[in-house]
Amino acid sequence: MVTDKKYTTVSLPTPLFEKIQEKIKGTGFTSVSDYVTFVLREILTHGTDQEAFNAEDEKKVKDRLRSLGYLD
Amino acid sequence: MRVAVIGLDCAAPELIFHKLKDYLPNLSKMTEAGISGKLRSCDPPITVPAWMVMSTGRSPGELGLYGFRSRVPNSYNDIKIPTSQDIKYDTVWDILGKRNKRSIIIAVPPSYPPKPVPGLLVTDFLTPDTNKEFTYPPGLKNDILRDFPDYKFDVKFRKPEKKQILDEIYRMTDTRFRMAEKMLKEKQWDFFFMVEIGIDRIHHSFWRYIDEESHLYENDPEMKEKFVSYFKMVDSHIGEMLEQFDEDTVVLIVSDHGAKAMKGAFAFNQWLIKEGYLKLNGHIPKQGASLDELNIDWSHSKAWAWGGYYARVFLNIKGREPEGIIDVGDVKKELEILKEKIKSIKGPNGEEWKTRVFEPEEVYPVVNGDRSDLFVYLDDLSWRTAGTVGYDTDYLLENDTGPDDAVHDYDGIYIMYRKNKKIGKVIDSTIFRIAPTILELYRVRKMYGMQGKPLEGVDYFE
Repeated sequence: MVTDKKYTTVSLPTPLFEKIQEKIKGTGFTSVSDYVTFVLREILTHGTDQEAFNAEDEKKVKDRLRSLGYLD
Repeated sequence: MRVAVIGLDCAAPELIFHKLKDYLPNLSKMTEAGISGKLRSCDPPITVPAWMVMSTGRSPGELGLYGFRSRVPNSYNDIKIPTSQDIKYDTVWDILGKRNKRSIIIAVPPSYPPKPVPGLLVTDFLTPDTNKEFTYPPGLKNDILRDFPDYKFDVKFRKPEKKQILDEIYRMTDTRFRMAEKMLKEKQWDFFFMVEIGIDRIHHSFWRYIDEESHLYENDPEMKEKFVSYFKMVDSHIGEMLEQFDEDTVVLIVSDHGAKAMKGAFAFNQWLIKEGYLKLNGHIPKQGASLDELNIDWSHSKAWAWGGYYARVFLNIKGREPEGIIDVGDVKKELEILKEKIKSIKGPNGEEWKTRVFEPEEVYPVVNGDRSDLFVYLDDLSWRTAGTVGYDTDYLLENDTGPDDAVHDYDGIYIMYRKNKKIGKVIDSTIFRIAPTILELYRVRKMYGMQGKPLEGVDYFE
């Protein structure tokens, strides 16, 4: 589904929601959504490391490092 | 309690605490009121790995990071640029995140590609360009480019148009600080850590205008004035940030290494050729030819080197290198012979050099990743290493890849400061103590295998 909306809703069991609400009190997390987004993103990224650079990107970074004298 | 770390890449004690002191009211105020001193870097004292040593409390050996490139195993000269994916230990912000602390992390190398952090992250100068994803969360990128369309990760330099480069560095630094100040003002945070790379770039390009001892010294009042104004700008941004920090914020100003005048570059592979360690098929194609441009007879070569601010020397070992010729049983003996030869290298006028040569196992408790067999600091880092060949002499007064004025020095700086605390002590320390200090300030007492202790005097700030 393609949508222009930046956010959408998912459902959480109320006790879990309350547990998270309690957990993030006094921390920098501003809302349960904020915290859940972070945790999910972290899990989704884990173990899916792709190549950090494609050939063109790598060339760009190497050229810059060479100009700075790090790669001779 | 919150901690804000402001990293000034390459900031040198002689400049910040002495030469430029009178121009830097905010840093001087912090030095006078807080605890400050020299901060001994790691080995090697290079941006990558030093900032990650600061962020994880782990040695370069544990991190498996020895500089701006790693060797692709089983190759001679195929290189890999370190990325955030190479960091296998938790950073302080990861540890704090597990305690629900939210961080703002800006330009701490290597942090590209952006990993999720509890909070906000902007990647470092090893990011290809702003077309890439360079923030966490991803949406932050659009906000940054809307507010700061000229945001830059780094400059390209060693161009002859010095004034233009200086203006570029000035704008890059000013923009990054303005972005950081905006984030501090508008976002919620418990921990803040930013690194500004511009200071390093300024040192490498413009050291000749402020160091009368340098053989490259140029008495150019306009350039000197520009150099000083750059530092004044950095200091005034630090002042802006101090205004935003409350009495419960401990501020740490840190640098990853220092700087000193470059005496020259030594053509190390050229020297290895003369000493019979590196054999070529045919002629050297041109002055300044790199390893890739040479036709090397690996089946008769015992060693080769990579250049930079220190030299990495590799042995051509049977079973490890594609055309290795040194038996594993002979490696120790070969290393000892080569070490002695390197130590006996003298300066261009026959003067003694204070060269340090060591195997990684001599300085790191654990050695991970693909490391060179020897690390070499020529004349105590005053001479950098050129990996290129084809010169009339091994001693180059300018760097082989273009003009460079400064090399790295072991000691960076630190200043620990909290509003309304008057301590005023000078205590020299080491880079390994920064991560434990940050955790201590949040009363995280488990040190996660970090080898350093918190900075002396941290209890004054708790």
